[in-house]
Amino acid sequence: MTDIRQERSGAIGHVEQRQSSRLTLLRLLLSNEFGLLVLIVLFALIFSTVSPAFLSKFSLYALGRTAAVNIMIGFSMMVVILTGGLNLSVGAIGVSAAMFGGLLMEAFGLPWPLAIAGGLAMGAALGALNGVIIVRSGLHSFIITLATMSIFFGVMIFLTRAESYRDISPVFTGFGRMKLFAIVSPLLIVSVLVAVLLSVLFRYTALGREMLATGANERAAELSGIRVNRMITYCHMLSGILAGVAGVMLVSRTGAAIPSMAGQLGQDWLLPAFLGPVLGGTLLTGGRVSVLGTFLGSFLVTMLTTGLLLMQVGAFWVQTYLGLLLLLAVLLDLFRRSYLTRRKLI
Amino acid sequence: MQFKRLISALLALTAVPTLALADSSSRVALVPGGPHPYFAAWEQAGADAAKKFGLGSADYKVPQKWELGLQNQMLESLVTLGYNAFLIFPGDPVGTVAIADELADTGAPVIALAGCLKDPSKAVFCMGTDTGNSAYLGTKELLKELGSGAKIAHFTGFLVDPNTQLRIDAVNKAAAEGGAEVIQVIADIDAPEPAEEKINAYLAAHAKDVDGIITTAWVPAVVASSALRKIGDKRIKMVGIDHDEVVLKAIKDGFVHGTMLQNPYGQGYIGSYVADRLRSGCKVKADAPFKSNALTDKFIDSGTVFAGVNDVENYVGSMQSITNTLFEGFESTYLDC
Repeated sequence: MTDIRQERSGAIGHVEQRQSSRLTLLRLLLSNEFGLLVLIVLFALIFSTVSPAFLSKFSLYALGRTAAVNIMIGFSMMVVILTGGLNLSVGAIGVSAAMFGGLLMEAFGLPWPLAIAGGLAMGAALGALNGVIIVRSGLHSFIITLATMSIFFGVMIFLTRAESYRDISPVFTGFGRMKLFAIVSPLLIVSVLVAVLLSVLFRYTALGREMLATGANERAAELSGIRVNRMITYCHMLSGILAGVAGVMLVSRTGAAIPSMAGQLGQDWLLPAFLGPVLGGTLLTGGRVSVLGTFLGSFLVTMLTTGLLLMQVGAFWVQTYLGLLLLLAVLLDLFRRSYLTRRKLI
Repeated sequence: MQFKRLISALLALTAVPTLALADSSSRVALVPGGPHPYFAAWEQAGADAAKKFGLGSADYKVPQKWELGLQNQMLESLVTLGYNAFLIFPGDPVGTVAIADELADTGAPVIALAGCLKDPSKAVFCMGTDTGNSAYLGTKELLKELGSGAKIAHFTGFLVDPNTQLRIDAVNKAAAEGGAEVIQVIADIDAPEPAEEKINAYLAAHAKDVDGIITTAWVPAVVASSALRKIGDKRIKMVGIDHDEVVLKAIKDGFVHGTMLQNPYGQGYIGSYVADRLRSGCKVKADAPFKSNALTDKFIDSGTVFAGVNDVENYVGSMQSITNTLFEGFESTYLDC
């Protein structure tokens, strides 16, 4: 009798284990991250078939280097989106931080690690300023960061007279041009490291969870003792630091801190800033982030642009094709989910 | 129509005899910083040069937006696609140096065209309009018409472009020398929307306070010409820049005093030819008589000339003459072949 019970219990346990494994697999298949990974592989196959040069060493290296910066820009927006807000000033902050780092190196002769730290501190300060104004005024971050975008950029242009800083440490600029195994840019490794740190922050620390709770439901978070205003300010500060990292990466890549690195008012960064997190599954209403999704989403967008350029799609059609491909990417993701649902795999 | 005439006339350059032995493997890319009417002439210039000199190709490749990162990405893709000579309008004089150096490291000649890279760079040289000089001469022409004591407004390009500061300084210098006063500088408007908004708003409020207008960027010149036509007051004198139809017609109709012509076709045509010659083994002479500007000591002026109401009909001839002169003497002046 006891044996039968034990056998039955063992069989049930085995079935539960199998069901649990199946559910884990299904969750993986359903995830945005998996969908993006599939799309990256799919488009890589398409591009390399149409244009074999896509898989050349130089092409892969250049792709990784460009993607690294776009990923960082995506992270910079992601950490604000998680509060349900926006940061339109990511570009202005990034370029201001980079210019400040360049100033410290060229005008004050600081060693590059200190200058970079100074640049990131500037990014943090500008981000924190955004956060403080948003919290104190009670206005939406869209309005505040729209205004500070012009203010930060305008002050930077006024102070620098649109001149670049070129006296950058060769060690630092060499880093941005280095090739590991002929195809990997160290900048991409920086992005991976930052992604790991952000994942740890949001998954394993109280601070990260409080940030997410603030984004999910401000009032509930406040009632549970979370200092909501402080969390919002921290998120904007973190956004400023990440924008600063992106700016500093560009300095390393171009060998100079230049006011136009993010375009007029830093607007060139807005599209990559939104595309990565949104494709990656970060909720615009806040409360949920996907670091891996943002990483893959930003990589996918960069890859699409590179692939289209290599396919020599007419210059003015690139944007259109990019939009169509992104739409296709979203529809394929939708199809994948609906297929899994129809097959009762979820 | 004027542009077609310009192209046809400049095609006559193909009659210029040359000893060049072209390399059919030369694939030249002419890459502006982004879409802008100024660069439209490069496409035909590259095609004409490829046909005349037997190049593999000389293709005009436009980044779809004015975005430094996008231009860099396009240049990287062109290397991957096998282009081996580059004529580049730098998206940023400093920011483009790194990619230009990387291109040069692949063995491809790189020439900065229409705008310069800041020294040091591996660009062979820079060929473009001497922007400061053009702004200075344009202001002088305006003041010839207005006399001393005039109050002028200056409409110009993007502040992130260091050429803008050179233009502002040059206009101020010419104004000071001519006893005039620059009462307003409006920058950051080399795009239709900001130009329309700011120029129209300014003229609506202050037209009566202004005696003259100098514009040193394409779009502000077009918008200001249209605005003066709309106002209908020919009291305000204006000197524009480039050869947009709107500006040329305004000159003919007396709403604009004249324009400072530049030479984009000549830049593209001569640049493509020289890039091929460099690939064929020619070297730049150590004692080549380059000029200096704020960015580089390897500058070649592609020419600028004032065209007033009497010159508009024959402005093509003026530019053809400049291009011809520059082309005929180019190899002997600048290259060792």
